[in-house]
Amino acid sequence: MSESIVVLMIGISTLLGAIGLFALIWAVRTGQFDDQSKFIDAVHHDNEEDLQDAAMMQAKKKAYKEKNYKPAD
Amino acid sequence: MIQVACTHCNLTFSEEMMITEKKSDTKLFFCCKGCQGVYHLLNAEGLDTFYDKLGDTKLHPATQNSDDLEKFDLEGFKNKYISTDEDGLCEINLIIDGIHCSACVWLNEKVLHKTEGVIEANINYTNNKAKILWDSEVLKLSQIIETIRSIGYNAYPYDPKLQEERAIATRKTYYTRILVAVFGSMNIMWLAIAHYAGYFGGIQQSFKDILNIAEFVLATPVLFYSGWIFFRGAYYGYKNNIVNMDTLVASGALFAYIYSIYAMISQSGEVYFDSVVMIVTFVLVGKYLEVLSKKHAVDTLDGIMGSTPTEVTLIDTGVKSLVSVENVVIGDVMELKPGEKVVIDGEVIWGQGSFDESSLTGENEPVYKQQGDTVLSGSICLDSLLHYRAIKDASSSMLTSIVNLLEESITKKPRIEQLANTVSGYFSTIILLIALFTFIGWYFWVGSFEQALIVAISVIVIACPCALGLATPMATLVGISIAAKRGILFKEASFLETMAKSDILALDKTGTITEGKPSVVKAKLFEAFDPSLLYALVNTSNHPISKGLVRYLDSKYDTLDTLLLDDITSIEAKGLTATYKGKALIGGNASLLQTSGLSVDAHSENSLFFFSINDTIVARFELSDTIREGAKEAIQNIQKLGVKVVMLTGDHEQSALNVASKVGIEEVHAKLLPQDKAALIDQFHQEKHVLVMVGDGINDAIALASSDIAIAMGNGADVAISVSDIVLLDEKPASIYESYKLSRRTFGAVKENLGFSLLYNVIAVPLAVMGFVNPLVAALSMSLSSLVVVGNSLRIKHLKFKDKV
Repeated sequence: MSESIVVLMIGISTLLGAIGLFALIWAVRTGQFDDQSKFIDAVHHDNEEDLQDAAMMQAKKKAYKEKNYKPAD
Repeated sequence: MIQVACTHCNLTFSEEMMITEKKSDTKLFFCCKGCQGVYHLLNAEGLDTFYDKLGDTKLHPATQNSDDLEKFDLEGFKNKYISTDEDGLCEINLIIDGIHCSACVWLNEKVLHKTEGVIEANINYTNNKAKILWDSEVLKLSQIIETIRSIGYNAYPYDPKLQEERAIATRKTYYTRILVAVFGSMNIMWLAIAHYAGYFGGIQQSFKDILNIAEFVLATPVLFYSGWIFFRGAYYGYKNNIVNMDTLVASGALFAYIYSIYAMISQSGEVYFDSVVMIVTFVLVGKYLEVLSKKHAVDTLDGIMGSTPTEVTLIDTGVKSLVSVENVVIGDVMELKPGEKVVIDGEVIWGQGSFDESSLTGENEPVYKQQGDTVLSGSICLDSLLHYRAIKDASSSMLTSIVNLLEESITKKPRIEQLANTVSGYFSTIILLIALFTFIGWYFWVGSFEQALIVAISVIVIACPCALGLATPMATLVGISIAAKRGILFKEASFLETMAKSDILALDKTGTITEGKPSVVKAKLFEAFDPSLLYALVNTSNHPISKGLVRYLDSKYDTLDTLLLDDITSIEAKGLTATYKGKALIGGNASLLQTSGLSVDAHSENSLFFFSINDTIVARFELSDTIREGAKEAIQNIQKLGVKVVMLTGDHEQSALNVASKVGIEEVHAKLLPQDKAALIDQFHQEKHVLVMVGDGINDAIALASSDIAIAMGNGADVAISVSDIVLLDEKPASIYESYKLSRRTFGAVKENLGFSLLYNVIAVPLAVMGFVNPLVAALSMSLSSLVVVGNSLRIKHLKFKDKV
């Protein structure tokens, strides 16, 4: 086994791990683990209805922004 | 009698008391108008799948009260709780009351989402806190609260800026740091396996270099990012001239890191990057657990603050107006409605009524107050309308001072934390000095900078806080896990040590020594009567005495009919009257029957309950609070350990002494208000005692917070549990004895471990100073010393709790 293969193996595996780590840190920072019970019961909320609710909330926010849009002078 | 469940709240009642209704083929039952209203509302909105999600969970019946809605739109309220985000949307944080399960959260979110003007609504399932964004041009806050109330829940605001935001931020940064540390140590571990294999089986220098560099890359972020907390702690320690555990961890890890870099570059000796990451990771996880428990306490505190009214009804020359609590000055006259919580201490000037002071005194019995009596904030007016004059302002009232004290106790660092660090503090100073002298000695003796550095650093590495660092956590970890299996939850490891050192145990009476539920100890029947009459009468009241009688009748008679009484009147703090088919029923204490012109035998040390039918007394019951099972034995055992046991109670002297003599307590302090209890504890502190306090109510919270170790009973008030250090899940007094015994055994093991690791260092460090220690010996002796410490700690598991007498 040559040195370059060892370097490649360690490098790639660490990189893959690091990508996972950053994804996890991003999730923590954006508050996705703030609610433990919701996180554990995720299967109850992972349906069409909740998706619709989320979409509806975004639409509401967008509508509000458009209504109150004041162009810069 | 057939019992059926309410279609909305699932509580069961007898069929004839229910409101019935037919829907296509099925019959619906409702326990009250509120539940019926909510059911139809949900059906109309197409949200009836709520009941499928709910299953068998029981809810609170949906009561409607909407008379205080206007307060949510007051200016003072807006300034305090509502903020505006960058888009101009209003934002409020609410605690939703009455949530039982995820179906409740689902329903609340759903209804809020459907409300016009609500832009965003998120409810946290864990702590029932909601964040709502809405358009203030479309909707008022009072309408949002009304919507939540219309489906049978209640909501009150809290201010997240007080505590929560800070607690969440700390938790997140800790969590991120731990993720990095765990990632680093897991990866370094498998590289280290290759390393060790190479050490014993032979390895080419080129491969060793690759492994070294990979470990270096992984260890660097762990040390400087995850371990930043220790460097910061060490820096603050340095500024205050204290050498603490942080100094030891930071210096140990940093020197091992520097040495490893040196070994890596010079291609001589072994690298210790794995030790670096392990030290940082383990100590960091320990610190994180502490942060978690603080976050939990903050949630409970927000709960108390939120349920406190922000406005009071002020009466100024006959005109009533709602005024913010902060604007009330001493001498103002205020009105108190039934069910309202008092927020300002005052004196009754008109009217009379009973007050629930259980949150202050812990005693369940309502207290009767009339003109001239003092009402304390935190108590709840139960039955009538009255006027009172403020004798203190909001900031110095009882409730505010309790909340302030609690806040302080949460943010304040426990005293033990500083004590626990002293030993390792001295140790690390000595090691650092020895390393320095070794370096100087070798530099002048041999003249080689490199060799002097290697020897000096090997001193630090061999003494690196492994055995010493493990000595305390390992023993306490075993101690804590054994305790947890026995229903004793220690919130922090260091509490075992304080508990072991304590010499005074202070016990609350109601709910701690006694069960807090009065039960019938003596029953005297003068004439035969239908017990169902008494059963029906006492069932109409929630008073502890009535409940005690209900339990007594339930256990004594197999079949009791549910009778429908008429003209039920509850005479607060005295008893109940009602009629049944022309019979006049009176049930209550001696003074109630005396006012009805009946003469009774009122001599007893217990609480009395008389029952009369048509002005003839038919029964007399004596009720007393039963002492918990095993309380006497537990207290005796604790006294045998050399701990002084005292009783602190808000109850009157006679009943306190009565209970004390039964369980063998000699020192009794009765008639204490919450702050008196805390003052007494401070007095014990001044006499240099280490004190353990056991309590269960909000009234004990301040005393619990100011004691060295606070133990709460598992079903106690949330605040009591959150300020406490140890929670007893099974509520047995024997558990207090067990925690004493366990903590003393654990502390013993900690001392043995510390003794051993110091001995190890006394032998190993001089060898290292003399330059005899090569990396193999250092690695082996480090692991061996750790193994000894672990093995010794595991011996705690053999502790016997039962005395063989």
